[in-house]
Amino acid sequence: MKRLHWILLAAGLIVLAAVPWFGSDVLVQFGINALLLAVLAQGWNIIGGYTGYASFGNSVFYGLGSYGVAIAMVQWELPFAVGMAFGVVLAVAFAFLLGLPVLRLKGHYFAIATLALAQVMIAIVSNLSIAGQNIGLVLPPLNDDRLFYELSLALLVAATATVFWLTRSRFGFGLFAIRENEEGAAVMGVNTTLYKVLAFALSGVFSALAGGIHAYWITFLDPASAFDISLNVKMIIMAVFGGPGTVLGPVLGAFVLSSVSELLSSEITSFAGLFFGLVVVVAVIFMPRGVADLMRRFRRTGWRYFVENLKAHRI
Amino acid sequence: MDLLAQILVNGVLLGGLYAVMALGLALIWGVLNIVNLAHGAFIMLGGYLSWHLYNYLGIDPFLGLPITAVVMFGLGYVLQRGMLNLIVRAPMFNTLLITFGLEVVLTYLAQLAFSADFRTINPSYAGSSIALGPVVVPVARLMAFGVAVALTVGMWLFLLHSRLGRAIRATAQNLVAARLYGVEPRHLYAITFGIGIGLAGAAGGLYGTVSQIDPYIGATLTAKSFAIAIIGGLDNPLGVLVGGLVLGIIESLTVLYVGATFGDVASFGVLVLVLIFRPSGLLGKTA
Amino acid sequence: MSAVLETTPALEITNVTRRFAGLVAVNNVSFTLNKGEILGVIGPNGAGKTTLVSLISGTLAPSAGDIAFEGRTITKLPAYQRARLGIGRTFQIMRPFPGLSVLDNVAVGALFGHGGGESDLARARELARAQLDFVGLAKFADQRADELGGPSRKRLELAKALAMQPKVLLCDEVMAGLNLVEIDEVIEVLKRVRERGISIFVIEHVIKAIKSLSDRLLVLHHGEKIADGDPDAVLSDVRVVEAYLGRRRA
Repeated sequence: MKRLHWILLAAGLIVLAAVPWFGSDVLVQFGINALLLAVLAQGWNIIGGYTGYASFGNSVFYGLGSYGVAIAMVQWELPFAVGMAFGVVLAVAFAFLLGLPVLRLKGHYFAIATLALAQVMIAIVSNLSIAGQNIGLVLPPLNDDRLFYELSLALLVAATATVFWLTRSRFGFGLFAIRENEEGAAVMGVNTTLYKVLAFALSGVFSALAGGIHAYWITFLDPASAFDISLNVKMIIMAVFGGPGTVLGPVLGAFVLSSVSELLSSEITSFAGLFFGLVVVVAVIFMPRGVADLMRRFRRTGWRYFVENLKAHRI
Repeated sequence: MDLLAQILVNGVLLGGLYAVMALGLALIWGVLNIVNLAHGAFIMLGGYLSWHLYNYLGIDPFLGLPITAVVMFGLGYVLQRGMLNLIVRAPMFNTLLITFGLEVVLTYLAQLAFSADFRTINPSYAGSSIALGPVVVPVARLMAFGVAVALTVGMWLFLLHSRLGRAIRATAQNLVAARLYGVEPRHLYAITFGIGIGLAGAAGGLYGTVSQIDPYIGATLTAKSFAIAIIGGLDNPLGVLVGGLVLGIIESLTVLYVGATFGDVASFGVLVLVLIFRPSGLLGKTA
Repeated sequence: MSAVLETTPALEITNVTRRFAGLVAVNNVSFTLNKGEILGVIGPNGAGKTTLVSLISGTLAPSAGDIAFEGRTITKLPAYQRARLGIGRTFQIMRPFPGLSVLDNVAVGALFGHGGGESDLARARELARAQLDFVGLAKFADQRADELGGPSRKRLELAKALAMQPKVLLCDEVMAGLNLVEIDEVIEVLKRVRERGISIFVIEHVIKAIKSLSDRLLVLHHGEKIADGDPDAVLSDVRVVEAYLGRRRA
């Protein structure tokens, strides 16, 4: 990236970090939500955007992270950091145990399988007493939004840095090869099974950490909200809208869509969701490769970009 | 023993309904390669339509089913022709996203139009049951089952023997082949999607006679329909029927023997197992 | 042609069969590829040539038979491990990594090939550039792979496989669709590849080209080997002529 881009990025980061000191409470809370969503989108980017396996199971990792923190802090009275570590352990175990069979599936079957897994997890956790069953758990309160904000920001930076590392590492190249042509990748020496599971686990770690922070922040969780599928769909939409397989795309997508959604919620309450749905429909038709690709190509082709996308995909 | 028989019968009746719910999804997915995340929302709309026909025009839900189906067919045709045809040649993942957007829109519109209260369709015979030996069978469920099986078999015959049905199956193989049947692809795609949505609407009408409708049932019904479609295999309506029955029975048995809250675990657990060991479904052709 | 009696063959295919539902694509085929040799493979369409390549590279598993690489049985090894041992292949239906640049396509080969490849991306890219020079694609290095035309894609396939530093190269119709000048260029490239000590297994339809390139010729028909030996002898073999032209009146 050019020097100018690095400077802009650093400046943006400083501004973001400073928000809790000069922003309103509402802004900080919006910020935490947006940052966590960006982490989720970025985490999904690793398995979906870079490896090409569209996972609907990242909400499982998120839920595991949430419950990891909740169980550790509520049932065993351990500190938050230990809870986070526990959540990560759960996520990695899940990625390896269930990732192996499920990653053998192609494309949409993989997506459906992960969707089914998410449903199964909700049902299982609803029946576990250590997890508070259907009622859920209530965590010890910590009234420090500033801390949660900075934690979330730090996590986002870590996630983005990881994605950046992917673009310049042998591991990352292996993932791209898998996405572009899995059989070709295997024939060239990429251990596709191992790499896919590692990517899945890595993606899961970030989702779990985000879940852990969120659980402690709102001090409450139950199975339906912890493993909420719509969260998974949101992270996918944000990643895809922003630009899958790019370093900053998902972050962009998360911030833009969160802001739009927030604005609409306050102005025209019930139409927010409707608008969101319409935006998705229009975006998939006219800019299916996301904002990142739009910004790159628009300079060259202008408005014809949209027409070209349309012509390429319609019958 | 009697309890087991009752549960099995419940499972079978449920299964028939499940099958017709999944039928449209399997058709659209198998032929058009469109993964319709809004499927459940269309079932929901069909249910509301039947409810309105019954409550405002006094049309019996079973007799009015064709009306619901035709209206929903029209909706499906328009949606495919106007919107989905635009992304047919894009990566299949895009269909997931766009239908998700559609689901959000439909659910919101339903909530706006019908409020969040739930409805049931209660014709006069809805409460009564027949006794078949030791087993008690609610009339409404039995009729729903009958219609479901009829639709499934009808669909199977249609795809196998009618000219249009064969054109639709040809499209699943390849667009050029479809042209040989003399039907314009855009029109054919729209008809296929329309049929799928019409089936979803009919399923909704049936669903309304045995259970409650509210604007939010779409998501769960979509998930269930996916499970059934995959378990049964996308190639064949009879497979979907088998998938539905299997799932209906497994769920009923699980609720009895394991616990009421485990029904979903069973359904989705079976789905995961099928995907891992036999992704083409119980009756589908092995890859 | 040199006598290669004492050295272990690069590849040894023994009684390999591959069945698909109701169809036997490769039927009890046996042959060896000697070190430093160019073995040409011809046969009518559907003879099982590409299936054979897939069996050797590990993309498909044989229904029966054994495959040995430098004396070591690899029949059960997955594709990526065979690549690391030193088997590289090109695909008949070219499949580059479309979203990556031409350079990065080849870099994947350098990162993951023989012996596990390079671990440093920059070094891998250097090696990739060298291969692009070798096949004559250097000026396309930064373009997207899916923007290349047909003949260039063939060369890209070759460069990708070469970047793996293979010991055995399996070429599947690298000359299809090329004009005479381009064919000669590819022949030169393959001869230089052989000079590096790489053993080559070449499937081709262009008979004249493969005759001038190969040390030995193998003929497949309906999944079976019907001839194996000196190119001139094989090409005048009655069975081979019949396979291509069909049986004339007895």
